[in-house]
Amino acid sequence: MKDDPFFVGYLRVPPDLRLFLTATCLALLVGAAGLAYALSLTQDDPGQSRPRFDFGPQTVLGVLELTPSPILHVTQGTDTIPDGQTLMLAGQGKNGAVERAMELEGQLVQATGVLFDRGDLGMLQLNGGNAFRAAEDQSAIPDIPEPESLGRWEITGEICDGKCEAGAMRPGRGIGHRACANLCILGGIPPVFVTTQPIEGEEFLLITGEGDEVLPPSLIDYVGLYVTLEGDVARHGDMLVLTVDTETVELVP
Amino acid sequence: MSVKYIPVQWNRSKWGYDAVLLLGVGLFLWIFIHIAPGLLNHERPINPPIRNARAYGACAFVMLTIILCIGPLARLDRRFLPLLYNRRHFGVMTAAVALSHAYFVLGWYFSAYQGATRWETVLFANTSYGQALGFPFESLGIFALICLLILAATSHDFWLKFLTPPVWKAIHFLIYPAYAALVGHVALGAFQARGNETLAVIFTGGALLVVGLHIWAALRERTRATPATDWVAMGPASDIPEGRAKIALLPSGDRVAVFRHEGQLSAISNACAHQNGPLGEGRILDCLVTCPWHGFQYDVRTGQSPAPFTEKVPTYRLKLEGDAVFVDPDPNPPGTPVDPVPAPAGTPAQEAPA
Repeated sequence: MKDDPFFVGYLRVPPDLRLFLTATCLALLVGAAGLAYALSLTQDDPGQSRPRFDFGPQTVLGVLELTPSPILHVTQGTDTIPDGQTLMLAGQGKNGAVERAMELEGQLVQATGVLFDRGDLGMLQLNGGNAFRAAEDQSAIPDIPEPESLGRWEITGEICDGKCEAGAMRPGRGIGHRACANLCILGGIPPVFVTTQPIEGEEFLLITGEGDEVLPPSLIDYVGLYVTLEGDVARHGDMLVLTVDTETVELVP
Repeated sequence: MSVKYIPVQWNRSKWGYDAVLLLGVGLFLWIFIHIAPGLLNHERPINPPIRNARAYGACAFVMLTIILCIGPLARLDRRFLPLLYNRRHFGVMTAAVALSHAYFVLGWYFSAYQGATRWETVLFANTSYGQALGFPFESLGIFALICLLILAATSHDFWLKFLTPPVWKAIHFLIYPAYAALVGHVALGAFQARGNETLAVIFTGGALLVVGLHIWAALRERTRATPATDWVAMGPASDIPEGRAKIALLPSGDRVAVFRHEGQLSAISNACAHQNGPLGEGRILDCLVTCPWHGFQYDVRTGQSPAPFTEKVPTYRLKLEGDAVFVDPDPNPPGTPVDPVPAPAGTPAQEAPA
């Protein structure tokens, strides 16, 4: 029988074992460093989204439309938000602005909040209190573009919430973010579809809901997953809006 | 061994063990949290809470994988036994790291929802239990975390004594369902989110390493132990070196260790009263069988720890037929004295170094 050195914790380490234990400790430390290095580099780029707190609160005027997610066709913008831009609206945290917007549909409204920006995806996180109200002068509501139908499309991509994707979180999509996106959508944050191939130059489409729900309830099981689906696409201002045919949704393995 | 409970009985080995452990965890987190963002060179960095959650989560997975490798490694090569000596501190630290991961996840993804706390939202945010892709992997993480916290909370010797070793041991087998849940948590979560080859190699490699080492160690052990009925044949007395033991598997599933001490043979249970450590893989030091895991000691003739310690293990009767050693598979009550059997004259007695 081989006489290995015998280790007893409360006695001195046998000399024959010291070199082995030293090498083992070093291997564990080098291994920890190597694994941390390798695993940390597996993280994907979260993209260009960000909240623009650096611009400060933005106050804009615009005409409100509901899908039922509230979107604002900006008629009087700021240095940061140009006239003619279409913004999604949301409240603080994981709260939407559907209830606040209900009575303002079709009106000229004044909205103050922080811009969340991801290129062609823009959202205004409304401040509390009186920051979202009907404009005082409703006598001349500017015309907004009529929705333009772009036909039926079969598209592949991911359903996520518009706020996290627009910059509340980096990254704001994927399975890791799925539960958060569900909560945001349940809270009334406008849902968006992120396509793998641009449609009419747009990568993000606002998804229409059913009744008071910002997302058709049957789609909640597909949030954060890679799916293919069919639906009608229409241009509302400079934003594409997708009405999903819920019977056509399939997971893409 | 102990006659009273104090938080930790420190010695040089434990200080060294914990120092290496803390250094490894610190190194892992420092590289992941502070060095990696510069290497990734993203124009807009990943949110710090998400980065922290990933760092602590990855660290917990690596730590639990290493913990589960220590047991079979020590059975395959006794030089790894020192890694097992303070494994409980390793486990407690893993629970702390996993708890930190949960803290960042709950605080970031599950807060700020009106009408429910983060403790509630984590339970209803995703209820797609019927599908593999999109399964609420958080629930598997919660299960694993609860297991780790239970193990950490009951890791002290007080609980070992209070619950009794069989119950304590059964509870601590939760480590295996916890690891299985953790593998599921990662497989259905981070692994799906980032279809990265490096992640796949490290994740599947780690899980396979744990499974492979356990199978290898079990197969090795099966070839060493000899199950039998009636009196169990242990082979020739000459196979048992001085100061060492030979182990046999009994029909009951227990193991017996037959030691040679000063030319006489004695048999005691192979399971240490402390944590079921393999006494038969230990040595006789200062006339006492010394457990290779934590150094608990027993008189080989009585199965009793030396005063003032109170631990006892069962003893067994032996008989010789020529040079062949046989052990009675029925154990005596713990601490029962049994007269040693003189080894046959002329049989070699290799001296084992202390």
